[in-house]
Amino acid sequence: MTDSSKQHIEEKRDVTFRVHRFNPQVDSKPYFDDYTIKLEKGITVLRALNYIKEHVDASLTFRAFCQAGICGSCAMRINNMSKLACTTQVWDELERTREPNVIRVEPLRNLPLIKDLVVEMDPLVGKMQQFSNWVDSKMPEEQWGRKEFLVSEEEFRKYDKATDCILCASCVSECTILRANRDYVSPAVLLKSYRMNVDSRDASHEQRLAGLVGDHGVWDCTHCYRCQETCVKHIPIMDAIHGIREDAIERRGVKDTSGARHAEAFMTDIGKKGKLVEATLPIRTNGVAWTLKNLLPMAFKMVIKRRTPPPPLLVKSTSGIEQFRAEFREMSGHVAKDHEKKSGE
Amino acid sequence: MKLFDIVIVGGGGAGLYAAMEAMKANPALNIAVLSKIYPNRSHTSAAQGGANAALANSAKDDTVEMHIFDTIKGSDYLADQDAVEVLCSEAPKIIRELENMGTPWSRLDDKTIAQRPFGGAGRPRCCYCADKTGHTILQTLYEQCLRKGVQFFNEYFALDLSLDGSRSKGIIAMNIKTGKVEAFPARTVIFATGGYAKMYWNRSSNAAGNTGDGQAIAYRAGIPLKDMEFVQFHPTGLRKSGLLVTEGARGEGGYLVNALGERFMSRYAPEKMELGPRDLVSRSLETEILEGRGFDSPAGKYLHLDLRHLGADLIKSRLPQIREMCMYFEGVDPIDEPIPVRPTAHYSMGGIDTDNFGRTVMEGVYAAGECGCVSVHGANRLGGNSLLDILVFGRIAGRAAAEEAGGFNPSPILDNEVADKDQEIRSFMRSKGHYERYGTLREELGQTLGMNVGIYRESSKIHRGIEEIAALKERFSHVRVFDTGDVYNTNLVQVLELRNMLDLAETVAAGALVREESRGSHTRTDYPTRDDINWHRHTTYTLMNGKPVLGFKPVSMGRYELQERTY
Ligand SMILES: Cc1cc2nc3c(=O)[nH]c(=O)nc-3n(C[C@H](O)[C@H](O)[C@H](O)COP(=O)(O)OP(=O)(O)OC[C@H]3O[C@@H](n4cnc5c(N)ncnc54)[C@H](O)[C@@H]3O)c2cc1C
Ligand code: SF4
Ligand code: SF4
Ligand code: FES
Repeated sequence: MTDSSKQHIEEKRDVTFRVHRFNPQVDSKPYFDDYTIKLEKGITVLRALNYIKEHVDASLTFRAFCQAGICGSCAMRINNMSKLACTTQVWDELERTREPNVIRVEPLRNLPLIKDLVVEMDPLVGKMQQFSNWVDSKMPEEQWGRKEFLVSEEEFRKYDKATDCILCASCVSECTILRANRDYVSPAVLLKSYRMNVDSRDASHEQRLAGLVGDHGVWDCTHCYRCQETCVKHIPIMDAIHGIREDAIERRGVKDTSGARHAEAFMTDIGKKGKLVEATLPIRTNGVAWTLKNLLPMAFKMVIKRRTPPPPLLVKSTSGIEQFRAEFREMSGHVAKDHEKKSGE
Repeated sequence: MKLFDIVIVGGGGAGLYAAMEAMKANPALNIAVLSKIYPNRSHTSAAQGGANAALANSAKDDTVEMHIFDTIKGSDYLADQDAVEVLCSEAPKIIRELENMGTPWSRLDDKTIAQRPFGGAGRPRCCYCADKTGHTILQTLYEQCLRKGVQFFNEYFALDLSLDGSRSKGIIAMNIKTGKVEAFPARTVIFATGGYAKMYWNRSSNAAGNTGDGQAIAYRAGIPLKDMEFVQFHPTGLRKSGLLVTEGARGEGGYLVNALGERFMSRYAPEKMELGPRDLVSRSLETEILEGRGFDSPAGKYLHLDLRHLGADLIKSRLPQIREMCMYFEGVDPIDEPIPVRPTAHYSMGGIDTDNFGRTVMEGVYAAGECGCVSVHGANRLGGNSLLDILVFGRIAGRAAAEEAGGFNPSPILDNEVADKDQEIRSFMRSKGHYERYGTLREELGQTLGMNVGIYRESSKIHRGIEEIAALKERFSHVRVFDTGDVYNTNLVQVLELRNMLDLAETVAAGALVREESRGSHTRTDYPTRDDINWHRHTTYTLMNGKPVLGFKPVSMGRYELQERTY
């Protein structure tokens, strides 16, 4: 107990924030401003930006509201990672900067830029609408309020994590497919769609699913896991994406879409190697021309950043592959049977 | 813009429920929701605990009657008993309605909505969804509004009502994304802009935008505010940000320690120690600081909440969120260091004076949620009753406005009114010989409120507060907006919010001074007891000639007689 009475003596340091600036009224293109300020340990990036705005440059523009990691307003790219400025400690960022004492701050990607660090959120809301990201209650409105649906805690747990999403759009900013095609449904919208689909109170499951398997839908995802690695609420987004796909194969069969080819390529790879040969996937699914046009520029960048999956020859078969293969054959057998049943209807 | 039947200012729980209910009542109506942030970001999302309703799922013997009594007693008998009856008897229906439309809830073994115990409630009746109840309610309401096709005007900042004599013609607002000032002609207007506790700034647990805009707009239009002196404080806010460290930390056995190393709660609540009631613990921390036993720092004086003796394992397993918060926001890991805390302004009981239908004295203008004051919370709000309040009275106001909207045709909002408003806000950007900085004024406002109109109040201090607020208002006329652009000018928005806070701060201080008693959240050291003979009544504030003019309103009583409030 004795030293609970000691004062905090905070370490201080000069830190430079290299901030993306753009005012559409005067600037033809974005640029960076450096702000160097003396900070004490324990300060978040948002507090530092507030300090700059109040004491150095009042025109510096960003969104922030709750300052507690709950409203989702303050997502931005800090040292090349999309995250919440209000939950990010400056001292932690200093450990991962490339240039000592310089923290890079940029707006989210894949959404239209408005000013400095502020991007337009309407496209994301539009997609939520497009994919009916709401429960369409089985109960007619006139009857609301009389009695509860009975829902087990087990069912609640199926969508518990997904409802943590604060729509900050960090995952949207890091999504590899959105980089190539802004019409892509978006990880957060897939997550929300999944959450609605597993809710037993909802009546629009089939219809929502029909939208999700269409163009720019769930089959376009490359399984790069960037969204899940980014998610500020640590939501397993990939479970939702796989959940939608399994559901789609089960309910709809997908032989006729590019998604089917993708899924088949995926299954073949897993069956053989127990691991996804990711680099070859886009080509097999979409054909060479599409891949060249859409993905190569991005792949090139990814190689430079060392984020590309290893080329096929280097993928080693996972250990325990025999057992996995057996399980996989059994699993895909079920799917195939279900599929036959459905398409026979 | 064409005439709206209803314009709702605010997209939190209250505003969204009002919108949904109005659409339900009459789908043909032309309804708009204006919000200065995307609705899903509203402060309703911060509510963790849950919402009270006597569903009797967890305790089979719970009743609406008991909920009514707990609420009235909690309010220190200042709540209007007829309003509380509406609140509590509508509660089970509204929670079921939320459930029926798809809100996620934690569940009991029998698959009904789970309920937990909460401070001041005789039975476990707080319905919850893990620790994110406000968030999931808000998300669901937003989703349902999207489903119903409610028209949203996101990132629009409401500036003022447009008046035709004593009647409203609609709202004038600024589109934040373009800087353009626009008219929203409307038959009816509902204010649902949330609370004003952020005027205490970094001594507040609230979001940056909880600046009481709706209250200030109504006040400037001559609509009375009510019970503004009642602001609830929470004992353990983080030193730098004011963010809450929830009761959980003390519940698990955390110690409160002063600069002398003493567990000072032994002085104030020798038996319950750290687990005394919220207001008592808040007052104890404040006393320690005032009597010089706090720690000093550039961010102000504070005390320690020490969890280290609980051990890393317990902290990691039982208090992971609290630990995360301390690391994120204060840079302190409670396993290794004590947490710096001090009391923080948390909730505003006062607001726009309304009747039980959300109607204000101005025809066609309504208020609901934390920005309104019906009053169901009186001098002190019970945990879990605020979410309930915003839902129940949001819905009632939405329905009432839908019914009223049919009849009346306001005269149009004239172009020159809009141009004048535009000029008014632009004047802040003009260069001035002598100017004031927004940040300085806001900081000083928070400071003077915290010191003089905070937890402990006393005549001479409040007088000082009033003088300082007046001086700040004077200085505000020289404030300068340095960002002169039109697009997304947050510098301008902040200044407009500060103007609203200054207007309201004056009423908070005025109320604190006249109410010569101690009741609920309002503690006068010079009048330490409750005085039912003189002060069992509401205060109201109406703007006349630039000053708040004080009025009184009786408390509507019912079944429950005045009693001493002891727990
Ligand atoms: C940390 C914390 C925890 C809490 N926990 C609980 C709890 O467990 N249980 C409980 O019952 N209560 C709790 N509360 C209280 C409760 O959350 C709030 O009282 C309630 O959510 C307020 O809802 P509202 O709809 O009135 O306003 P808000 O949700 O604050 O919404 C206000 C809306 O108005 C808009 N707005 C404001 N000004 C303008 C303007 N000028 N122009 C346009 N739009 C504007 C905003 O954009 C926003 O959409 C808690 C509060 C806090 C701070
Ligand atoms: S896994 Fe799919 S959704 Fe997630 S970032 Fe990659 S491509 Fe986008
Ligand atoms: S899924 Fe995660 S990262 Fe994406 S919007 Fe939701 S909270 Fe943000
Ligand atoms: S400001 Fe709300 S999440 Fe950061």
